Amino acid sequence: MPDPLRAEHVFEIIPALTIPDYLVGEVQAKLAYVDEAISGAHITSGGDCIRLDLNQPCDEPQRLELEEKVQRVVTSMVKGAYKLKVQVLEDYLERPLPYAYNPMDELLARGEVSQETAGVFSLGPLLARLINYFEGHFLNLAASFGAAPYRFPTLIPARYLERVNYFRAFPHSLTFVTHLREDLDAIDHFAQHAACDEHGLNTPPGSFAGIQALLSPAVCYHLYFSLADRPLPGGQLAATAVGNCFRYEAINLTSLERLWNFTMREVIFVGPKEFVLENREIARERMRSVFEQVGLAYRVESANDPFFIGEFRKQAAFQSAFQLKFEIRARLPFKDSTLAVGSYNYHQDFFGRNLNITLPDGTPAHTGCVAFGLERMAFAFLAQYGLNPAAWPVAVREALL
Amino acid sequence: MNHNPQSSSVEQIQDMLAETLQVPRQEITPDLAFGDLPQWDSMGHMEVMMRLEELYGIEINTETIAQLTSIPAIYAALAQQDPSESRHA
Repeated sequence: MPDPLRAEHVFEIIPALTIPDYLVGEVQAKLAYVDEAISGAHITSGGDCIRLDLNQPCDEPQRLELEEKVQRVVTSMVKGAYKLKVQVLEDYLERPLPYAYNPMDELLARGEVSQETAGVFSLGPLLARLINYFEGHFLNLAASFGAAPYRFPTLIPARYLERVNYFRAFPHSLTFVTHLREDLDAIDHFAQHAACDEHGLNTPPGSFAGIQALLSPAVCYHLYFSLADRPLPGGQLAATAVGNCFRYEAINLTSLERLWNFTMREVIFVGPKEFVLENREIARERMRSVFEQVGLAYRVESANDPFFIGEFRKQAAFQSAFQLKFEIRARLPFKDSTLAVGSYNYHQDFFGRNLNITLPDGTPAHTGCVAFGLERMAFAFLAQYGLNPAAWPVAVREALL
Repeated sequence: MNHNPQSSSVEQIQDMLAETLQVPRQEITPDLAFGDLPQWDSMGHMEVMMRLEELYGIEINTETIAQLTSIPAIYAALAQQDPSESRHA
């Protein structure tokens, strides 16, 4: 039996169910959302002990409440879970790499990144230029499909996300937007008294208006909504857009690996099933050539979205069964792991049905997207090649110098 | 309760689907497939899978989730399953 309070701020729990290896990462990530008192969570390699680091001591009632919540996460995600099928489509993880350090250390030292708050970073010239370089490749990919360029807002209406069941699937990652109520007294009070303390703005919640919009978690939703409730013009469409995306990751927010505010470039396909699936596959083959040119060490493997605990078991199994999602996982030599820098996604006719996007024959359109995380792509490249251009692959060096 | 998979008729499968998907029985045609009805979406499909596991002891895994996407496919799978190897619900 573990000593429940080995140190003042550490709490060990025996999970009600042993957590299988293939679920450790997912369960551990969700523990970040259990309680604000948790500053860290770790599951032992056998999946039979959970260690919580707490940012304050807990009395007995608090400990019992924490344990109940943790067990609820474990039970929801582990009980009756289906082992997910892992299919590897490409494996170039063993490309020789010259660098094995965490590039964040040097980026921070040089002032090339500046942290504004957890998960929010400003990027300097090196990363900006590197991101522009990768964007060039992604724009070429989009152009190869004749993808029409779009520009989408950063806000997304709450009712949009409700319509596609986002609240149920990913509530933990949402970022809400509001403003002061149109009330002279409330606005004046804010102007006179607003200040920040350790919890953030000290403004009473009643000063804010109801939430009508959120910060957009993805780019492609805006395209689907622009096509909603009408026949798809021409019966098929390729489009592309880049945008700021927001996914709150609690204590999991880490350097450029996991940002709250990040940028995604997407190439989006809407049309018949064959159109979407074939183009997704063609995109993957084209990007294989690009990654070879760039010298990226990576693997493309099946994956699942980070559904919340109540939805995870079923939705992850469904995604896995139908191979709906493949991630481009770039190697991070400094921590002997990989980082998802992009993904190839197929949504079947989910958006077509829910948003009434119809094909000429009246059936719902299928959709899919190829998405790239720009900050992660640049970070992974630097993690593999370092900040010295002399060590970069020729194609990258010559493009940037 | 563990049903005998080999004695399950198409009608029984239709009944199960109507109940699981909460759809009027007359909308469950013998050749119904995943996506034919709004209720048989990804979540509906997983509910059907879990019900099959519960009622008939069919092993549900990523292979069967992808295969059992229509009433004919479900009927064929049940017809092949050896009742002596069925797991208890």
